[in-house]
Amino acid sequence: MPLENHERARFLLHRSLVEGISLEDRHWLDAHVGQCAECGRYADLSARAVRALDWFALELDPAAALRVENVVRSRAEGMRSAEAHAKSLWIGTGVAIFLTFTGSAVTWRPLAWLASQWNLPSRVWQIVFAAFWFLPSLLLALLPLFRRRLLGEDSDSKGQTV
Amino acid sequence: MVAVVTAFSRVAEPESQCIARALRRRDSEFIGRMVSRYHYRLFRYLVYWTSNREHAEDLVQETWLRVLERAGQYNGRLRFEPWLFSIARNLAIDHLRKQQTATARHRMCPEDEAGLNLPAPDFESPFFAAARSEDAKRIAAALGALEPIYREALLLRFQEELSLAEIAQVAGAPISTVSSRIHRGLSMLQATLGGGADAA
Repeated sequence: MPLENHERARFLLHRSLVEGISLEDRHWLDAHVGQCAECGRYADLSARAVRALDWFALELDPAAALRVENVVRSRAEGMRSAEAHAKSLWIGTGVAIFLTFTGSAVTWRPLAWLASQWNLPSRVWQIVFAAFWFLPSLLLALLPLFRRRLLGEDSDSKGQTV
Repeated sequence: MVAVVTAFSRVAEPESQCIARALRRRDSEFIGRMVSRYHYRLFRYLVYWTSNREHAEDLVQETWLRVLERAGQYNGRLRFEPWLFSIARNLAIDHLRKQQTATARHRMCPEDEAGLNLPAPDFESPFFAAARSEDAKRIAAALGALEPIYREALLLRFQEELSLAEIAQVAGAPISTVSSRIHRGLSMLQATLGGGADAA
């Protein structure tokens, strides 16, 4: 029997196990393996090796499995509540910033009128408006976003103990 | 009618997309069930990598925590298992790298894990204990001589039944490399079984 037939048989045997072969190749392989004792033994060893892998049954510690499940569940819940908190924080900040700008726009005209009544230079009342109205309310609106950093807490849930 | 269509689309939704959605929503009930469902497979995969039950148990937990952190990266278009195993693989490699610094006993790992020295496997423990037949005991000994990347390829192909493309995704290697790893791993196991048969 030509040497290349054995090589082809082994190549096809490997391929049939790893990714599958065509029907035509399967017929050829079966016929060859039926005739060739050496390739038949090789095919048998291949099949036994794969079957033997299936016979490994590692024993699981049910307590360990349960512990992992509890830790992961608890982390998932922690992350969900942290994310919900962060979401509400962003929404609240957005609303506060919006109110800061709309409130400033609404207050601007009455203050301009008052300043004109008191003969205040426009630069002066505008600085007063920015320093005592706009900037404080903007800072207050942004404060929650930096609360954790200011308090020295982690900004995410990675630091949570599990 | 809309409710019926919605309910049907939920039923027909691929499992991978359900998983992706549950991960994004941090659905602890669903995630808990997944942890339970994949526990053995993940544990086995990590034992194949580390050759150590205790380390594998620790890494299973780390893997799931990493899955939660990276939930946004899984979009559900591909199967979940390759993504899960690739996370576990990275953690196992990191773990082995850390171990490498602590042990003098190591061997060079070939191919694309260049520079990763893996500890000599301790095969008296997990595999030998798990071998249920004479063939399996011989295979356990043979697995001890294999590098983890070959054990990994054999496990993913023949026990997890992943496709070559999926194994390539997990291993971050070309399909041809994965195929040759499986071939080499199988050849070593065959040689062991053949030797055992000859000896008998």
